[in-house]
Amino acid sequence: MAERRAPQQAQDKLAFLLSLVPFLMEHERISVQDAAHHFGVSKQQVREAVELIAVSGIPGETGQYQHGDLFDLAWDDFEENDQIVLTNLVAIDDAPRFSGREAAALIAGLQYLSALPENADRMAIASLMTKLSRGASTPPSQFAVEGSESDETLALIRESVSSGVQLEFDYVNARGEHESRRVDPLRIESMDADWYLRGWCHLRQAVRTFRLDRIGNPRITAEPITTHVGDVHLPDALFEGSSDDLIVTIDVTPAAAALIADYIPDGAVSTDIGGLKRTSIRVSHYHGLKRLIAGLPGIVTVIDPPEARRAVADWARAGAARYEEN
Amino acid sequence: MSAASTAKIPVEERLFSLVLALLATENGLTKNEVLSTVQGYRQRFKPGGDNANLERQFERDKDDIRDLGVPLETIESPGQAGNNQTLRYRIPRGAYELPGDITFSAEETTLLNLAAMVWREGSLSGESRRAVMKLKGLGLVSDEPVLGYAPRLRVRDAAFEPLRAALEKHSIVRFAYLKPGEAEARVRQVAPLALVQHQGRWHLNAEEPDTGITKTFLLRRIVSPISLIGKTFPAPTGDQTARALAELEEVWDSHTAEVEVVAESDAAARLHKRRGTVTLPSGALRLHYSDANIFADELAGYGPEVLVLSPPELRSAVRSRLLRTVEQHRAEQRVAATEVSNG
Repeated sequence: MAERRAPQQAQDKLAFLLSLVPFLMEHERISVQDAAHHFGVSKQQVREAVELIAVSGIPGETGQYQHGDLFDLAWDDFEENDQIVLTNLVAIDDAPRFSGREAAALIAGLQYLSALPENADRMAIASLMTKLSRGASTPPSQFAVEGSESDETLALIRESVSSGVQLEFDYVNARGEHESRRVDPLRIESMDADWYLRGWCHLRQAVRTFRLDRIGNPRITAEPITTHVGDVHLPDALFEGSSDDLIVTIDVTPAAAALIADYIPDGAVSTDIGGLKRTSIRVSHYHGLKRLIAGLPGIVTVIDPPEARRAVADWARAGAARYEEN
Repeated sequence: MSAASTAKIPVEERLFSLVLALLATENGLTKNEVLSTVQGYRQRFKPGGDNANLERQFERDKDDIRDLGVPLETIESPGQAGNNQTLRYRIPRGAYELPGDITFSAEETTLLNLAAMVWREGSLSGESRRAVMKLKGLGLVSDEPVLGYAPRLRVRDAAFEPLRAALEKHSIVRFAYLKPGEAEARVRQVAPLALVQHQGRWHLNAEEPDTGITKTFLLRRIVSPISLIGKTFPAPTGDQTARALAELEEVWDSHTAEVEVVAESDAAARLHKRRGTVTLPSGALRLHYSDANIFADELAGYGPEVLVLSPPELRSAVRSRLLRTVEQHRAEQRVAATEVSNG
């Protein structure tokens, strides 16, 4: 069965070959370096692909892959100057279509990003989606993402990111406290339905992540940013642990464990306790924890430490009490 | 050719050679012709011998090539319908090539690169990576690099991949579903029509074959693996995703709740920004939602910052959730749980 594992990588390589050939036909002469840069691959990957193309072809009338049935390459130019010049072409005339799934993935991506200022021209987006459907070899797969309205805060942040100026806004943190922040905006990120700003916070003197729906009254300033993307480490993961984090032991119903996967630190130990999964999660403070747990009623129970249990119980009790008053 | 040298022909070379051979043929090649002449097969072909392994290889390669969107066609010879040996394979050029009038501007290419970035995990990240590769083959360079954005759509639900595969093959599926608000899961058997993400959650729109009624299922609430029952259904016509999204939107639109929020709290800030929220003259917020049980979970997370005024079922759902959380976090229970784990 080992051979069944190979296709993923082989399919990527095949997609590259089928895309590279028409590109090389379009550019009668191109350096390995330029081709690698264009496709975002290594020079070695380009060289290997070109070498394979140059010896490939069709069986032809004889079924013997005669010389004229093969692609050919100006070998001297290739080997001595790292230049690609195809001297004989076979079978392929044009770029391939998208698969139905590829088209659907891009269409769903466009739908998802419809809140971005770049996607504000709905007519242009609709025509782009139509082109993707028409450019697919089968109808796009039937999966889709709900579109969203343009978001003013997002547009304003986008403007400040691209012009490299500082941003001021009011922020409500998880404790419910209001603070005025001044931030060097670095990157706009999202996770499903939630949008975030990553930036250098002048108040905290550190990189911070801000939820867009907690940002109020954003203002673009005239001050250029002082910390740039290259100056700091912006990890790929939206939430990363810090040494100040609190570790809390919880029980979770196994089917729902995926809901809190982001909070479970790497290497956390899980045990089975009477059909429940006991593990640990990482939180920056109990204010965040109580909101998280109260929003997963009956699914996650905090076991330890006692202060954490109490924080959750107090929060839920205060919430329930509001219904007694009325 | 020796076994050692034949083993060296890489998978991509065999697949590439197969695509070239089938693109170049007008009338198609029989399986025997493919196996005996195409690079990567011919080295392993035994004339007049048993080529069962090679035939299976060819079957898998056809699937892998079709997966990439290459339209591999099967033609039956006249008068020989059903005869496997005389079937001919080819890739019709018109169905393979991107139509000449489809071009993408630099601006559009930027948007498509951004759209592809959205999928970072699961099989859809591979699909978008290959789509971008094909776009690059068209030779366009986007007008600006996509900086400043890192969007992510995740597919955490285990049911997504198997449902997507079933959707493409029009296979009837069976799974256990825990309907929000019910305690016991029930087994459902449905024809999957569309997978849509609405309000951050993935939903399956499907038809019950017995009744013809379409229903929506939350993927998060599917509590068993997806199994196929070996039956297919006719491919539906029309845009199923648009219909499914419109149905969800209609439900979302028709359900409203009125809640009181503590001024300047986290709940006030966030619920105010929710799509469609209206502030009433009393200061209360009118909110839209899809499912009372799911919305109740969300509102319970705000604790004392939110008081649900209406509808009554949402009000009692939030209250009972908060009481349940209190109950599960009583001091004495922790001791009991610790004893269990020690014993």
